[in-house]
Amino acid sequence: MKMKKIPAIFISAAILLCGCGKNNAHSKDIFAMDTYMSLKAYGKNAEKALSASEEEIFRLENIFSVTKDSSEIRQINRSGGEPVKVSLQTFEIISLAKEYGEKTGGALDITVYPLLREWGFTTGENKIPDKETIEKLLESVDLCRISTENGAVSVPSGTEIDLGAIAKGYAGDKVTEIMRGCGVDSAIISLGGNVQTIGTKPDGSMWRVGIASPFSAGEEIGAVSVADKAVVTSGNYERYFIGSNGKRYCHIIDPKSGYPVDNGLASVTVIGESGAVCDALSTALFVMGYEKAAEFYRENGGFEIIMIFSDKSVKLTAGIEKNTVFADGIAAEVIN
Amino acid sequence: MSRKVKLIAAVTAVIFILSAIGTAIVLKPSGSRTAEIVQNDKVLYVLDLKKEKDRSITVISPDGGKNVITIENGEIFISEADCPDKTCIKMGKLRSESLPIVCLPHKLIIRIRNS
Repeated sequence: MKMKKIPAIFISAAILLCGCGKNNAHSKDIFAMDTYMSLKAYGKNAEKALSASEEEIFRLENIFSVTKDSSEIRQINRSGGEPVKVSLQTFEIISLAKEYGEKTGGALDITVYPLLREWGFTTGENKIPDKETIEKLLESVDLCRISTENGAVSVPSGTEIDLGAIAKGYAGDKVTEIMRGCGVDSAIISLGGNVQTIGTKPDGSMWRVGIASPFSAGEEIGAVSVADKAVVTSGNYERYFIGSNGKRYCHIIDPKSGYPVDNGLASVTVIGESGAVCDALSTALFVMGYEKAAEFYRENGGFEIIMIFSDKSVKLTAGIEKNTVFADGIAAEVIN
Repeated sequence: MSRKVKLIAAVTAVIFILSAIGTAIVLKPSGSRTAEIVQNDKVLYVLDLKKEKDRSITVISPDGGKNVITIENGEIFISEADCPDKTCIKMGKLRSESLPIVCLPHKLIIRIRNS
């Protein structure tokens, strides 16, 4: 009797091992929204989900772009105050950006674009503008200048919308919706540093998301383990320039002062459910600085933060502490 | 044990061993140092960095852009590029699976090959 059981064990083991085949990774590289995106999905509908996701990313890029002539954002920016009928997605993302702009006391402001251009961050020809120019441009930077009514958006002349601070997070949410709709229950997508995950890895373990070191290119300062979460980082290390005065200017502009943020923070990572919200908050909290960001967290919650400071110190919220690891020599302090 | 049972046992044993080998290949540990160079969704090179000798690879993109990739002491990085921002050079050596080296203008990616 015992001997007869052996083939059965072999057969079940063989089936079990062959079963791994259905968990093959399917991946896609996409260059869109001015960044590199990498999508990886598992399961039998993964290929279909990836194609549909790619299509959606290019569609969103075409309506959200601030430089493409045909985009809805460009039409709004050139409308001279006339309402422009827009797609559901454009209306939704602008409404969301306004909501989080207001919630964060204007720390996130999608009308900061003219200043970003003046500092040369849109062209790559960086310069330090004079005080008068900054003050003049600040007059048209205000969320309240965006009107959203009946599916139409308008801004007065001089005010320009740029979705750079939220578009990738929003696209990430749409991609995860599409993938789930296709029946994918295990996927990781990285849209230029905005990472979003569906479920866990096929083996049931959590996804490991590296946190880039603001101090050394290509190196990780730590990593966070997540499942079904978005992990979005805003930092001063990706796009910056050194002025003729030797000072470093990063691409995140404080909408109140008109100057690049310089508050001791090197990067802010936000971990939460929605990519768009994490994207909006990572920028806003970076602009706010430590004290105000910690206060915002205590008052609102619903997300976790990892803050890396220019002096290499790290502060994080208690909810994510046990899921993070840091490089040797980095001690993380919990935000209370 | 009849001959039939012996045959089944032999066949399943072979299937078992083959799938075990296959699984071992598929699930090899993520600490791998195999890099791949990808352009326009095409894998141009797969390089085992532990075995590669020091050398340089020049990749010309379809629109004429040029990147020189250097392998040195088991490390890989972009040493030369004619793109405007040179971000790919600033990204330094490939160190992490989460942080590939990317040259956006030339749609070139160097990353650690996934298991």
